[in-house]
Parts: sequence; C-alpha cells; structure tokens
Amino acid sequence: MQISTHELKSKIIESLKLQDITPEQIDDDAPLFGTGLGLDSIDALELVVLLEKEYGIVIKDIEEGRPAFRSVRTLADFIAVKRPQ
Amino acid sequence: MSEISVIATSTATAADLPTARLGQRFGRLDLQSQLALLAVASLNINFDELARDRIGICLAASAGSLSTDVNFWNGRNGVGGPSPTLFAYTLPSAAVGEVAIHFRLTGPNLCFVGDNKIILSEAADMLRRGEADACVCIFCEAVTPECGQIISVPPTATARAFFLKNDSEGTGTLAEFDRDIKALSAIIFPTQSAG
Amino acid sequence: MREPEVVIAGCGVICAVGCGVEPLLAALQNNAIGLRASEKFNEARFQSNIVGAASRSFDIDDPAWFLAVEALQQACIAAGKTLATIPAERIGLVLSTTKANIEALERVSDNRSCSDEAKRHLRADLFAADLAAAHGALGPVQTASVACVSGLVAISQGAKLIQRGAADAVLVVGVDCLSEFVVSGFTALKALDPQGCSPFDRDRCGLSPGEAGAALVLMRADLFAQPAIAIRAFGGSNDANHLTGPSRDGSGLALAIRAALHAVKMSPAEIDFVHAHGTGTGYNDAMESLALKTIFGDACPPVSGSKGMLGHTLGAAGVLETICCVLAMQHNFLPGTPRLLNAAEGTPPDLVREPRPGIRLENVLKLNTGFGGMNGALILSHV
Repeated sequence: MQISTHELKSKIIESLKLQDITPEQIDDDAPLFGTGLGLDSIDALELVVLLEKEYGIVIKDIEEGRPAFRSVRTLADFIAVKRPQ
Repeated sequence: MSEISVIATSTATAADLPTARLGQRFGRLDLQSQLALLAVASLNINFDELARDRIGICLAASAGSLSTDVNFWNGRNGVGGPSPTLFAYTLPSAAVGEVAIHFRLTGPNLCFVGDNKIILSEAADMLRRGEADACVCIFCEAVTPECGQIISVPPTATARAFFLKNDSEGTGTLAEFDRDIKALSAIIFPTQSAG
Repeated sequence: MREPEVVIAGCGVICAVGCGVEPLLAALQNNAIGLRASEKFNEARFQSNIVGAASRSFDIDDPAWFLAVEALQQACIAAGKTLATIPAERIGLVLSTTKANIEALERVSDNRSCSDEAKRHLRADLFAADLAAAHGALGPVQTASVACVSGLVAISQGAKLIQRGAADAVLVVGVDCLSEFVVSGFTALKALDPQGCSPFDRDRCGLSPGEAGAALVLMRADLFAQPAIAIRAFGGSNDANHLTGPSRDGSGLALAIRAALHAVKMSPAEIDFVHAHGTGTGYNDAMESLALKTIFGDACPPVSGSKGMLGHTLGAAGVLETICCVLAMQHNFLPGTPRLLNAAEGTPPDLVREPRPGIRLENVLKLNTGFGGMNGALILSHV
C-alpha cells in the first residue's frame, strides 16, 4: 500500500532533527543526498533506522538501500513494496 | 614583540539554544557542539577577512564528551540499536569539528578535557609560534542531569568563546596567558556578565 | 619547532602483540598480526569480532588505568637514570585518550560493581592527574582529546612544554580500551571490516578496533646523553568538510604535512619513510593516498601502516605508532603493512608489504587523522 509522501517527509524531518523546514518545502523528486536536501552518510544510516522503526523494514546491506534513498518518492515506493503486510 | 589581542568574547547557555538560527542541521548536533557553535557565532567575527587556514581552534571541555556518551549508551537498546549520529558526537573534539565545518576554518586544532585555564595559554603559544594568525578559544561545560549524577557534578550547559589575534588592534591584551577565563573576561569586558 | 631540541628518552607499550617494547619490535620485524577473533564481541549486534586486544582480563573495572600504568612504568624505567635526576616539579604529563575509562559507564549503567577510582577515571582530566601523581610528575598536566589525532597532539604538547621552559621532561601516555561502547558505536556507523582491516588494500572495507597503553618520556636533549630520536615538528589542520568523513581530496592532511615540514624547514625529499594512519576504511586510505601524492608527487618515500597488526587504538594510536617509528629508526628497518595483500589503485607507489631490513631512516613522517576533520603530521629525526 502506498504511503503518503507528506507523512514520510514529516518522519524524515523528525528523525534527522531538521530545523526550519516543513514537509511542503521538500520536493518529492529532489535528491536527498549530495545536493537537494544535502543529507550525508550519517543521515543514510539514520534513515535505515527509520525504516526499521516506523515501517518494519530491515536493510541488511546499505547498498540495497542506495537506489531507494535517491528521493522521497523512490523511498516511498520502496517502503510500499518492502513493508511487511 | 607582537601583541596578542582579545578581539571579542561571548557566552552561550542552554536558554539561548531554542532561538539559535545556525542552519538546518543544528538540531543534529549534541548539546556541547550546539553551545560551542552558538558561542562562536555570537563572537560576530567576519572570518572572510582572514585566511581560513591560519585560524586555529582551541577548546576545553570540562566533562569531555560524557553527557553525549551517557545519551548514546542509554539509547543503545532502542529499535535500530545504538545511534550512529550520537556516536559521532561521543568525542569532545566533535564540537571543534562542527565549528570548523560551519565557519570553514582549516587551521590547527587543540582540544582538551578539564578546566579552562589551559586554552588561552595554548592558543597564545600557537600564535607566537606562527602556527596560526588567529585562534577561536572555547570553554564548554555541558553536563546533563543524567551525566551529572554519574560523575557527581552539578548539571550545567554553557560555553564561553574568545577570539585571539596576533599583532592587532583588539580591545584588550593578554599579558599573562594562564588566567582563568571568567576572571579574564570580567577584567577585559566588565559590562558582560561573569555568568 | 624551535630550540631546545626534545628527544625521546624512553618508551613503554602494551598492545595486541604483547606487553613491552621488545615484543613490539619482534612483531614489526616479522610483520605479525595481532588482530584476533574475540569471544567478547562474538554477537550479532557487533559488526565484527576481530579486534586487537591486549593481554589483560576483561573483568577489571579500570582497564584504562591498567594499560596506562603498564606503559608508563616501562617508559619511566627505560628513561630511568636520567629521569631520576630531574626534579618532580620539572616533570609534566600529557594524557591522550578519546574515552578514558569508559568501562565504568557500562558498569554503572548495568549496576555491576565499579570502584570509586574506576568511576573517577571516566573523567579524563582526573585520570591524568592521578597518573601524574602516581609517577612523580608534579609539573604541568594536560589531557588531549582530539579524536584519533590525540596521540600526536599529546606528543606535540609535551614537546612544547619543554621548549617553552615549563618542564624538562614530560611523560606522554596514550590509552584507549576495547569496549562494547566503542565496538557498538563503530557497528552503528557500519565502519568495521568483519574479516579484520586491510589497510590500503583494494578489497578493504573497514577498520578493526584495538586497545593499547603507549608511553614516551620526552626530555630536553641537553639532559639526555645518548644518541636519540628527536620530535622535530608537528603540523595540524582541519578538513572543515564532514564530521566522520575526511575531505575527499586530502587537502586538509596535505596542509598539516606542509605545516610540519615548514616548521622545521625541511623539504619533502628529506623524508625517508611515512608511517600512515591507514585504518582500512574506503575513505581514509584513499584520502591519505591523495594527500601523499599532493606533497610528494611521484617521489613518495616508502609508506606502511600498522593497524593490520595492532588495530585502531584511537587515543593511543598516535603514541603507539610513533613508538613503531622509533623502533624502525633505532633498528634500521622499514616496517611492513600486515594484512595488505593487493594494493588499491592510487595508493603510494612504494607501499611496503613486508619488512625491509638494513635501511637507515634519518627523518620519518607519522600521520594520523580523526573524526571531526582532524589531521596531524609529526616529524621525527635522529640527532
């Protein structure tokens, strides 16, 4: 089942303790890492924790998560496919 | 003999943190790094006027990184396990790193555990030896209640910063470099609270 | 650094290859590997159980004190006769550590037994004060905690104290212990190689934690009779890039190396050997290779790293690895790089895999880098 990108963005903001930014200000298709939101390698690890904590998805190998972490939309799609029913 | 001058001094406390506007990632920093960064920002130095690789940072943390160490250790059994973010801050020098990253300061760094007496004398020595032309000095006291209970120290959350420069027209000079920072700032900047 | 010259009057060490300088020398000459599988970390929640453990019980509540005192006692005995002639008020101490006696935090958290002294040594400054008192150092005491560059900073600080006349001798001691705290932290960062680290290897994928106590007695050169090895210069810098990842182009470390060379008016061509930080992580070893290329161009001297032997000993690393350099200089050999099989592309052209005897090392460059963008470069020379 698809999850709302708005909800996912709220969780990202909360988990990464981002300040002065609202879900509306994050573009669904903008890059999360490098440019765009400018997240880094520690944030990637925290997103792995978020996936487990909020959606029950366990990522064994960080490389598995890499394509999913490209943008909010790819992450939402990944969660829809991978989350335990 | 060139003078080493104190250009500016500042204080940051926990009460100042909620209104701090130091970028989107400020929330990720641990308490000690937030206090240090805010204190340095409050010095209001225009670092653009200086060569970044000639600006040093000298920090003393009264309790090392123990407050963050306790947070990391206490949180280890949460879902997802020990926090990677918190672990990155379980070093007193993490605060130095954050100041360096934020203001792009690439000069030499010193970081000590213990009281504040050391940082002015070491920073002055750094300048006298020509290793840097200016130095940001920071004294941090970041003791959370949980940490304070373990090491039997009263909780506190403050940082004091000084900006030292070689050969310049500052508002005060350091004749002796072993003085206590609180006493020194009271002498040099009597209108600031000794807090 | 300016006059007076500061020399090393004695060394002491306890680490993964044994207790004492002689076992370390033998290990260096034989390219031994001190990393071993540890039962203590043989659980799913730790990314690797391959560590560099010293020979000590894991049931003690103050391992930091145990390792530090062992190293200090060895160093002071080695410096013995000359150290005894120096008044206590003229002997300082600089401690280098990232986590001090973190064991005490684990015990207190779990309500396990923990002595007051062990708890006291959670605070690195009090730990340093106690070490100084126990070893007759009534001069200045400092506690350096600069991530993995702590050891080199501590050595530099010790030298500075002597050079500005605040002390005639300084005991420099670096210590960090294996702990669940540290291993679980590196696990959270996914920074460990499950098979054990392989510095500069094309298949490297992480570091191996280690522990050690390592100590040097620094002394004013004019007080020390024999030919000796001097601390010539230290250069430090910050990458100002990322908290746990080094600057991609190695420019920060290159800056530190340049500062050290400049301080002692030495050209890169005068360096005979580089002892690298070489943790075995993808980023570090690549960055270090770039920094060396920047400084030395195509004329890089031989390079090796000891973390495949000893593990990454954090706050002890700078002191322990400097002692490796001292031994190489005293016994005229190039140490190898244990656990390096196939050098990665872009690594220095003369990466020493196996030890090479019969080589005089006049000037040696020791490098370390650490979290928070820290970079350090130390130059040692025969005098």
